[in-house]
Amino acid sequence: MAYEQVKVETPLVLRILPVASILLFFGVWQAVVELKIVPNTMLGSPTQVMALFWEKLFEANPDGAVLTTHAYISIIEAFTGFFLSLIVGVPLGLLMGWFALAEGLARPIFELIRPIPPVAWIPLTIFWFGIGIPGKVFIIWLSGIVPCVINSYVGVRMTSPTLIQMARTYGATDWDIFKKICIPSALPMVFGAMTISQAYCWTTLVGAEYLAADQGLGYLITMGRRLAMPTMVLLGMICVGLTGVAIGIIIERIEKRLLAGIRR
Amino acid sequence: MSTTTTAASSIANEIQQEVMERKPFSIVAFLKNRWFLYAISLTAFFALWKYVDYTRVLGNGIAAPEKVVVAIYRLMIDTVAGKSLWGHTWASLNRILIGFAIASSIAVPLGILMALNRYVNAVVKPVFDLIKPMPPFAWISCAILWFGIDEPSKIFIIVVGTFVPCLLNSYMGIRLIEPQLYDVVRMLGGSRRDEILQVGFPAAFPAIFAGLQISLSIAWTCVLSAELVSARSGLGFIIIQGMQLARPDFVLAGMVVLAFWAWATTLIVTYLEKFLCPWKRETSLA
Repeated sequence: MAYEQVKVETPLVLRILPVASILLFFGVWQAVVELKIVPNTMLGSPTQVMALFWEKLFEANPDGAVLTTHAYISIIEAFTGFFLSLIVGVPLGLLMGWFALAEGLARPIFELIRPIPPVAWIPLTIFWFGIGIPGKVFIIWLSGIVPCVINSYVGVRMTSPTLIQMARTYGATDWDIFKKICIPSALPMVFGAMTISQAYCWTTLVGAEYLAADQGLGYLITMGRRLAMPTMVLLGMICVGLTGVAIGIIIERIEKRLLAGIRR
Repeated sequence: MSTTTTAASSIANEIQQEVMERKPFSIVAFLKNRWFLYAISLTAFFALWKYVDYTRVLGNGIAAPEKVVVAIYRLMIDTVAGKSLWGHTWASLNRILIGFAIASSIAVPLGILMALNRYVNAVVKPVFDLIKPMPPFAWISCAILWFGIDEPSKIFIIVVGTFVPCLLNSYMGIRLIEPQLYDVVRMLGGSRRDEILQVGFPAAFPAIFAGLQISLSIAWTCVLSAELVSARSGLGFIIIQGMQLARPDFVLAGMVVLAFWAWATTLIVTYLEKFLCPWKRETSLA
């Protein structure tokens, strides 16, 4: 071994500072609300948010559903959109990466649709599907499919040419090469797509629920605004953030488990 | 079907490539030509679009392509809420430019500072990690409660949305520099200042630019969603206006113009990057 692992002790200041910073952040937030520097119609304090969280677990009013229902609806929508985008996007991207026919036919349409932000589809979606769950799933699907296609495409394209030439030398057909070399070598990129696409889906969900919803975390935030209850807005935001982080961690775990045998 | 990955690094390879490319004309080769396929695909796309409109499968929910073109033309001449299409485009673009400028001028230096200084990092990182997972849309309600529905709230949303990728990328850009590069500067007798100026900035530049690139596309999404929720001008306003008037041709016209500008601004940043940072290795595919 050329280098020896040296364990460096972090100075005490560096260990205290992050904690102090967090405490200061919440302290200032609480103080600003308590001392009425910012009126309570604009900002709720952390303790108020905690209290509302506890209350919303059991109390459906004033927005019509308890917190767990909102979260459940949101997760269902996000995951339906996410899985649909995986099911369509990954094979499409893989095929586009290897078969000229697939690329030639799918690429122009993909490039036309890609620059449109998914949120821009909301009005059309309302025309087409109404304001139910299918419309929201459609928007989430649109936002999730882009990274899926791009990553799978790039993954196949980055396959080492040596491997392909080797397979060709041994007389493998195009389909064989695609199946046995391109797909396995694209897998890490495909799983990267899973992570990105999940994050996109979760982000877009809130946007989709803004305009057209009757349940869900995004709806909770919107209702908080309409009722001028900043505490509810903050509660919704925190729930969205935390759930997003939790889903991200779970996906990362799955990715690690599935990719355990594959060299990067 | 042939792979195009043959490396033309030697003369032998080049000749081989030429021989491979010099093929007699054949129908199959013509049918598999990339541009031919692109043309087919686009034709099919627009034909399908037209067909869906013609059969009224989606009822009044879609407008034929030519109606969208007419709508764009009409929007350019007529005014909606006192502004022509150019005025609305500029309204959106203006918000993006202001928000983007504010966010990048704070986030990029802060990210670099966090990567270079442990103490700054220890103070800022925990708070940033708290704010990071919140989707930009989630801030719209806050923005409206704090700033009303005027210009500041839209700019605030863009700033919040673009701040995160800007900061993250400049931070990671500096952090992920290969340590060997620093070793070289140190070996040649460079000071800490040299390390930062000669290695840190040039090496992190592509990553920082990638962050700006991501921010820009997020900025378009942000401005659009902000305008969809509440606005008197902007491309999102046109789209929402089309929805309220049940005019899908206006909605689609807004989307087409939006897609064009989002694409154009991305292109500008890509070229700017090529111009400003020619040492970047070509890694962006697709």
